[in-house]
Amino acid sequence: MKTQTKSKNLVVPRKSGFSTGAQMEILGLAIVVVLILMATIYIVSFLVIKTPTDYRKGFVSAELASNMLNTLLKTAAKDCSQLTMTELFQDCAQGQGIVCSNGQDSCMYAESTAKKIFEKTLDKWNMKYEFLAYTDINAPLVKAGSRCLSEKRSKLFPIPISSATMYAKLDICG
Amino acid sequence: MGETIAVLFVFFVLITIGFIFYVKVVKSNIEQEKDEFSQLRSVGVAQRVMFLPELQCSEDNIIKDNCIDILKIDSAQSLMKENEVYYYDLLQFSEVSISQIYPVEAKWEIYSRSLEGFKSKFVTNIPISLYNPSTRRYGFGVLAIETFSK
Repeated sequence: MKTQTKSKNLVVPRKSGFSTGAQMEILGLAIVVVLILMATIYIVSFLVIKTPTDYRKGFVSAELASNMLNTLLKTAAKDCSQLTMTELFQDCAQGQGIVCSNGQDSCMYAESTAKKIFEKTLDKWNMKYEFLAYTDINAPLVKAGSRCLSEKRSKLFPIPISSATMYAKLDICG
Repeated sequence: MGETIAVLFVFFVLITIGFIFYVKVVKSNIEQEKDEFSQLRSVGVAQRVMFLPELQCSEDNIIKDNCIDILKIDSAQSLMKENEVYYYDLLQFSEVSISQIYPVEAKWEIYSRSLEGFKSKFVTNIPISLYNPSTRRYGFGVLAIETFSK
């Protein structure tokens, strides 16, 4: 009888100690499995999931600034003896000898026409932009839109004038 | 026996979760590729329209870039209606229109073949010069190309 009780007394604490250790091992294994799973998901998300490429945006932004400026400079002013916008900008930089049939000088007419065109295009398409025509960038002759605060697509077009070179610059933001 | 079943159950659950994850990733990649393909198609159609000889300005056989001849538009419209199959190969499911913004406002529908129940639609607006050969003056216009895809 004595031996039986002894053996019973010996077995009980050993059994409970083994159970706790095994539980800890399983918990450790579970943590390892979760970590491996997370690492796999992280790696797979980098390797398999591709970042989307916006081909159209690249094409549109590349075409837009240059086409906009080229087209604007070629456009004939309806109230200024059909002079082109380039000729109006040139006159604006060279002393404003031209007065249009609506009474505006070349600088004012060019600015109002540019603003009118941008209103019906870039503003309508919710695009931010800055247009400048200048000989000295710190004192622009014609200005439309507001400065781009971050990324921009820019097009600079040199226009020859008698004294130096003036520039027409269009920045499309974003 | 019970332990083996439990382990196998957990194993298969993990396999199923992994498979679902993989399928979702592949599905999203396919959707993405489909979207990229639609975008490329839209860019392709836009470029084809910009360089259509039926619309492009030319003088003494010299082509002017980014320019559309106003006098060619009417003929191009009727030509595209008469040769629908040929232009469908070029422009597919899309709508092409030209709007004059300055000096006077005007609009021309060049090609129209929309897709019913389309899933995505891309609108590309390209500023373009509109040349009037009779006055030899340029106006400011916008070439709008809408492409549809399922």
